[in-house]
Amino acid sequence: MRPLDPRLIRRIGPARRYILVTAGLGFLTALLILVQALLIARLLAPVLSPAPLSDDGLRWWGWLVAEPARELAVGLAWLGAVVAARTAVAWLQERLAHRAGVRVISEMREMVVAHVAGLGPRWNASGRTADVVTLVTRGLDDLLPYFVRYLPQLALAVTVTPVMIVVVLGLDWLSAVIVVATLPLVPLFMVLVGLLTRERSARHLEAMQRLGTRTLDLIEGIPTLKALGRERGPAERVRRLGDAQRKATMGSLRIAFLSGMVLELLTTLAVAIVAVTMGFRLIHGDIGVETALAVLVLAPEVYLPVRNVGTHFHASADGLAAADAAFALVDDADPAGARRSLGAAPALTGATVRVSSLDVLTPDGARLAPARLTFEARPGKVTALRGPNGEGKSTALLAITGLLRPDGGTVAVGGVDVLTDDAAVELNGWLAQVAWVPQRPDLGVEGRTLSLGMRQRVALSRAFDSGRPLVLLDEPTAHLDRGARAEVIDRIRALADRGATVVVATHEDEVLAAADAVVDVVGAAVASEEAS
Amino acid sequence: MSAPAPRPVSDGAALRAALRDTGVRPWPVIRATLAGTMALGSAVGLAAVAAWLIARAAQMPSPADVALAATTVRFFGISRGLFRYLERLASHDTALRGVVTLRERAYARLAGASADRVLGLRRGDIVARMGADLDAVGDAVVRAIIPLGVAVTVSAISVGIVTAILPLAGLVLAACILLAGIVPAVLTARSARIAARVGTSARAEVSAAALSAMDGAVEHRVWGTSAAAAEELRTADREAERAEELAARPTAWAAGAQALFSGLALVGLVALGVLAVRSGDVDGPWAAVVALLPLAAFEAVGAVPTAVMQLYRSAAAARRLAELETPADAAAIRPEEASPASSTPTLVLDGLSAAWPGMAPTRPVSATVPPGGVLAVVGRSGIGKTTLLTTLAGALPPVGGAVRLDGDPVGPADTGAVVAMTAEDAHVFGTTVLENLRVARGDVSTDEAWEALELVGLAGWVRGLPDGLDTELGSGGRTVSGGERRRLLLARAALAPAPVHLIDEPAEHLDESGAAALRAMVARMRAEGRSVVIVTHDLGLLDVADTVVSLDD
Repeated sequence: MRPLDPRLIRRIGPARRYILVTAGLGFLTALLILVQALLIARLLAPVLSPAPLSDDGLRWWGWLVAEPARELAVGLAWLGAVVAARTAVAWLQERLAHRAGVRVISEMREMVVAHVAGLGPRWNASGRTADVVTLVTRGLDDLLPYFVRYLPQLALAVTVTPVMIVVVLGLDWLSAVIVVATLPLVPLFMVLVGLLTRERSARHLEAMQRLGTRTLDLIEGIPTLKALGRERGPAERVRRLGDAQRKATMGSLRIAFLSGMVLELLTTLAVAIVAVTMGFRLIHGDIGVETALAVLVLAPEVYLPVRNVGTHFHASADGLAAADAAFALVDDADPAGARRSLGAAPALTGATVRVSSLDVLTPDGARLAPARLTFEARPGKVTALRGPNGEGKSTALLAITGLLRPDGGTVAVGGVDVLTDDAAVELNGWLAQVAWVPQRPDLGVEGRTLSLGMRQRVALSRAFDSGRPLVLLDEPTAHLDRGARAEVIDRIRALADRGATVVVATHEDEVLAAADAVVDVVGAAVASEEAS
Repeated sequence: MSAPAPRPVSDGAALRAALRDTGVRPWPVIRATLAGTMALGSAVGLAAVAAWLIARAAQMPSPADVALAATTVRFFGISRGLFRYLERLASHDTALRGVVTLRERAYARLAGASADRVLGLRRGDIVARMGADLDAVGDAVVRAIIPLGVAVTVSAISVGIVTAILPLAGLVLAACILLAGIVPAVLTARSARIAARVGTSARAEVSAAALSAMDGAVEHRVWGTSAAAAEELRTADREAERAEELAARPTAWAAGAQALFSGLALVGLVALGVLAVRSGDVDGPWAAVVALLPLAAFEAVGAVPTAVMQLYRSAAAARRLAELETPADAAAIRPEEASPASSTPTLVLDGLSAAWPGMAPTRPVSATVPPGGVLAVVGRSGIGKTTLLTTLAGALPPVGGAVRLDGDPVGPADTGAVVAMTAEDAHVFGTTVLENLRVARGDVSTDEAWEALELVGLAGWVRGLPDGLDTELGSGGRTVSGGERRRLLLARAALAPAPVHLIDEPAEHLDESGAAALRAMVARMRAEGRSVVIVTHDLGLLDVADTVVSLDD
């Protein structure tokens, strides 16, 4: 996985700004670390040197921290200032990181939800919305550690590390050679270890996940086991699966931690070698104590961000995976597909809507529900669609709203096709004339506190009062008591009497009795040569 | 008799109880902490000895005088990585063993819980979350307890070294390390509390708004409210951002506090080191150790905020687990595998009305099912047919009337043993076809399995599978279509030894082979003198029943 998803930078404004600011703060941090190291060298050198210091051990970097800093009072004052500045930068970085992180997460969430909301009823019926909610809430929340922990370390790795190498080079070229020689070994060895162990760790990972799934599978099956009086047996199996999973996990960790060990080993050993080499050169007078102290303090700083990037990568991998899934979802071509335009929507007032041979495939593609549905809905009349569950009554209504593309057949107004399997009139104009009440109305915010029955009554009122000429009602009396049911039927009649074209999907006798025409909706298996 | 209410437990107590349940002994934790101490201690040692080495070398002694120091520096250069590796292996192994034990206990407790609690497991992603929660308890060991232990030991070592050289400097370092550990810990704890208080409800709002915008998308399109739905999500998002913001403030101060106190220690120890050399109290090399040690000594306490955060996370997970696992319902406890009743009792529904707590009760119904009898329950969706079955199984007490088996009221002890049930959403396990059938009875032979599959018309399908009866199904195995799944469940029901079987047919249209399988199964049960109660939507199936009751009013 890439450490920085380019789509995050390209598409999410706050992410782009945050990365720039973080890089800036990274440079500031690099500067502060540098000044701190040089100050320590300045302060300690006079007391550690056996003879008074004659030349400037910091060479060109002396301009950054001048020789007067060797004075205890001056040097300490500067050191205090650096500490104050580092405190402020640490505070600021953490603040900005959180703020940017939550902004980015919100933007991505809104982007995904807006996209999914536009995918149409077929997608909604696929039952994947629950997964998307999990993705855009808990999934994307995992991006926070990525922004707060990982990205700042990445910024430091690309700022502090090169700055420190340049500085060490200016101070003592031999130490710089040691550092520069070991630094590429870190990724090299990590990649080598990764390559050598990839197959094994992939195998372990797979075993681990399989065993984990099985254990959860058993827990999920407790109600079933209990219903058969067999819930006691599998406890032992849970234990055995768990032990097997632990062994598989440890097998993969033994390998996964190896690369971490290589990282720590190389970086710490390099610092040790720099220190020891400088020690022997000090004895021979090849290097000054001020220089040696500065290099000693700076050498670990070269590696620190690289090490931290390694440490935090694991924690941010989940968030990056969620971001990847979110982008993939948004980039996924619209399954509803673009439909050819049939021009502006015709006026529906007083119009007869004719549905001919309407076919819609079920999500599994095994059946047509409805199949070859043909009927006429006349203005001023109530047309009832009747049939058992799953035969396609609700689907037929959705197809008439224009939001669900049928797999065959047409909807025509005044003899002109308005909706077909590959074309549609301008939908906003069409929808503005259609009132539709689903089986479980949502109603948004105000609907949240209402019971299902109440929601249905509110949604029906909205449809009755909308004045829209084509009214589609899906099981309008399903969640209502007897009194409310009679009232709804009266209002449906009144609506038709005012001239509206009403189509009702129902299996209730009272509603069927009030209808002017009843159409039977039946599904059909897809012809056998096509079925798998 | 009603379901026991969830035990009210504090997060901390829940975590302690959960950690006890992991059965993790102190010794492995100590061993991992020691390895961690050696790892971070190596970093401190490296800094100290390297400082001494450089300062001593500056006095230009003979190379032999610094040879030991040079070797020690190299040793620490290697030991840090090695011990870190050992620590990570030891801590993860300890935690994983704990999680395995915890899982087994969680399973046993859930299996022993009263049936009405257990049936709640079918809802939502409780099980998936439970897996994550069990792991989170294990994480408390790896990411909180051991790092905190290491922070204490390594800090003590650093303070010890400095104190031995210059007691006053040791005091300053001790004070700074304590502050750099405790202040961020307190601030982080504060942040976690704020996040739990404000963040949870804000997050729930975001989930609800996101779900409404997507599930109600078609409605929003028709009524022109898409923009309002998007706006609602945006408002919920802003609210959640504000909550995060409140929680993030203390953590920013925690980060600042760490930088401040480690910096103060540096300033103080450099000053004390320089002054000590000038006054002649301490030699240059030892003063260098004092002055440079703060650069390495604070790495251990740097882990404190993460550890505190993890403790909060693990504690919340432990509380959710504790709420899930209510104490076993005394009546539901069966010491061993239930032994099925030998003869079929007469099942009597006497003015029976059923409901989950808070639900409207079903219309009272009465019926008698003699041994070998078949009762069908019909009614429109949502009227409570499944609830009625759950009550018949003895898993839910009736709200009115009674269910009697040979005159005795049915109870939780009868569930599964006398009255078995195949729910609409009964589980197909991620294991072989044969093992899935053996869920009904542990000793089902392959002949019996084939016979049952033949009965429901699945034998041909299973023969066509790559490994026949040994083909893996479900998650990770072969996917099963809705119709195959129903018939497999019926085959399982036919093999179950309980004398009374309840079958909840799914709401979808039953295909022809499904209907045939159901007829075959009912005929077989009847022939064996066992009773069946089916809930169905398919009125064409009612001819299999002797008696039909309707829940519609």
